[in-house]
Amino acid sequence: MTSPGSGPDSTAGLAEFRAQVRDWCQAHVPAGWRDEQAGAGDEEFAAFQRWWFGVLRSAGWAVPHWPAEWGGGLSVARQAVLYSELAAHDAPRLVLQFVAIHHAAATLLAAGTDEQKQRHLPAIADGEIWVQGFSEPEAGSDLAALRTAARRRGEVYVVSGQKLWASGATHADWCLLLARTDPDAPRRKGISYFLMDMRSPGVEVRPIRNGGWRVAQQTLGAERGLTMLELAERLGNAGFRWLVRACASAGALEDSLVADRLAAFETEIAALRALTARLVSGHDTGTAGPADASIVKLYYSELLQRMTDFGLQVSGLPAQAILTKPASSGWESGAWLLDFIGSWEWTIPGGSSEIQRTIIAERGLGLPRG
Amino acid sequence: MGLDELHGELQAVARDLLKAPAPDWSLLASSGWTGLEVPGELDGAGATFAETALILREMGRAATRAPYLGAALGVAALLAAAPGTRRDDLLRRAASGREVPVAVLGDWMTSAADWARAEEPVSKTGHGTFCMEGRRISGRAEFVPDAAEASRLLIFARAPGRCGWPVIAEVTPGAPGLSVEPQPVVDETRRLAVVTADEVEVPSASAWGFSGDNQQEAAEGLFDRAVVAIACDSLGLMGAMLDATVSYVKVRHQFGKPVGSFQAVQHACADMLVQVSVCRELVDAAVSAVAGSAPDAWVAASMAKSHVTAAAVDVAGKAMQLHGGIGYTWESGIHAYLKRATLNRALFGSPAQHRRRLATRYE
Repeated sequence: MTSPGSGPDSTAGLAEFRAQVRDWCQAHVPAGWRDEQAGAGDEEFAAFQRWWFGVLRSAGWAVPHWPAEWGGGLSVARQAVLYSELAAHDAPRLVLQFVAIHHAAATLLAAGTDEQKQRHLPAIADGEIWVQGFSEPEAGSDLAALRTAARRRGEVYVVSGQKLWASGATHADWCLLLARTDPDAPRRKGISYFLMDMRSPGVEVRPIRNGGWRVAQQTLGAERGLTMLELAERLGNAGFRWLVRACASAGALEDSLVADRLAAFETEIAALRALTARLVSGHDTGTAGPADASIVKLYYSELLQRMTDFGLQVSGLPAQAILTKPASSGWESGAWLLDFIGSWEWTIPGGSSEIQRTIIAERGLGLPRG
Repeated sequence: MGLDELHGELQAVARDLLKAPAPDWSLLASSGWTGLEVPGELDGAGATFAETALILREMGRAATRAPYLGAALGVAALLAAAPGTRRDDLLRRAASGREVPVAVLGDWMTSAADWARAEEPVSKTGHGTFCMEGRRISGRAEFVPDAAEASRLLIFARAPGRCGWPVIAEVTPGAPGLSVEPQPVVDETRRLAVVTADEVEVPSASAWGFSGDNQQEAAEGLFDRAVVAIACDSLGLMGAMLDATVSYVKVRHQFGKPVGSFQAVQHACADMLVQVSVCRELVDAAVSAVAGSAPDAWVAASMAKSHVTAAAVDVAGKAMQLHGGIGYTWESGIHAYLKRATLNRALFGSPAQHRRRLATRYE
């Protein structure tokens, strides 16, 4: 992705940008946030997220992946540099705003009216929080089975039904909602996409709490691939560094079996980062294949699962006694058991691994539908 | 013409020409493939390793039997050697196909990667290495690709003792003290040989140091190339296996349906595509690192070799499985790919050896 010469994305230009981000991280990533956020309550977590979003926004890096006219405009190569440096400096993740800055924004940019864009994009860049309302108790992988209904009454739609809310819904201002508008249409046809104000009367938000099991926050759309750049860079920096550290502190770095596994993970992460960067560039230039986003999601999620499992095995019993991980950390926090359990938040939601394989086979390879 | 366009054209020509399982050497030479990286003033195309890599990938894809790997490494050895009349003449003749110069690199571990840390000093009786003492070269290497089909051998050797200077020595088959014995292997798409030199005399005009300031780096670069060349072959091979499998499961019917509509088959094919996609990234990164002589090119090379050559065995094995009963018959041709994939995995350092090298960086 780098090019010779002296342009912004030349090798020299990117190195300069990297140094700039590095300096900024050293000045702005709060020391000790992990300890403060370990076991933080919901309000404390939300306040911290809002604060960190503001810090990133001041630097101009809250929505770097958006078009320039809406406050983004960072090239893919520079985004990769930004995310890798943030991860290398162990910066908190944007968790609460994730759906807003990625899925809501992508949806608005692709399908929103000018009025909707004007109403929401600046607000999101200002910290408006969104949640995704796709899955239902009886409609998970089979989204077309959803039952939530939206009926037109004059100028408004009245929505009734039940959604499995992603965590963070209690803080959400708006919801990306899928609901059935035509009960008589064929399953896939009668579904509409809504922007729903979460402060509307009648919206009751009950957070799902089921042990460590949260429902992760991604849409099923192809734009999901774009969110992967940050995650791949995090896995390559914070994640792999934690893994090497876990091996070192277990005195296992000299163990040839451990060294072999580490080298295999490092190799796979290198491939994932390149694959993700290619997907994002391909999305920008319209050259991405129909199954490319599924390939990246599947590979990332299963690599994350294998890697956190390995970290857990190397760490032995002490990992069983780490009861919390810092809120605002990623899926590679170094609390290996919690990270490992959390990795199913990637292999199930947003189209399970099984669904991804079917998509890859049918759309990517053109195999006949089963 | 843009680079993508150029590569597209080169690939189209290669696919067409490589329809023959063992294309005639003169045909390959007249296509300019042996002279791709030879500079224009020496009658070559002045291209880079990226273009050679493309041909290597297509040869893996077609499971071609031709001494191209050995010759491409031979040309690379000449290009890495200090320039001079004799070397330049050889390069010119290689570019036109009049000469088939084949590299004899020796064992990957003992010759290149760890030579500075090697326990055993280079000696005339060392295994897998060659020693150049004065004007005489001795040593023995097994499993040397294409050595039996060479018109010239370019032997990688070192001066005796610890950290001996690396040299490249040109030796003619049939020279007194030299033996090149074909070494049959299960994979019939490749020709390997045992090369033994016992005090073979090398004229002073035919022994070269490496060009550039850092002899050791230049020597290692040659081995990185060999390593990446094999990864390219494996990538091409796995692409061919995926395509063949997808075509087959679309037409093969059982229980009244194409077997490609069964989820177990679909998911296996999806995993193959994921593997191919992942491997393409590793090969691309390694090819550009080697083409650009990046200082840490060996990292990308070892990553590609360890992952891609292992994945190619998995993909070819899965192709065999998904072809069902026809898969393990002689006619399907899949067995040839599976055998070649396992040979690739073992040549120039096993995946475990390459990962051990990568792991020296962790602390």
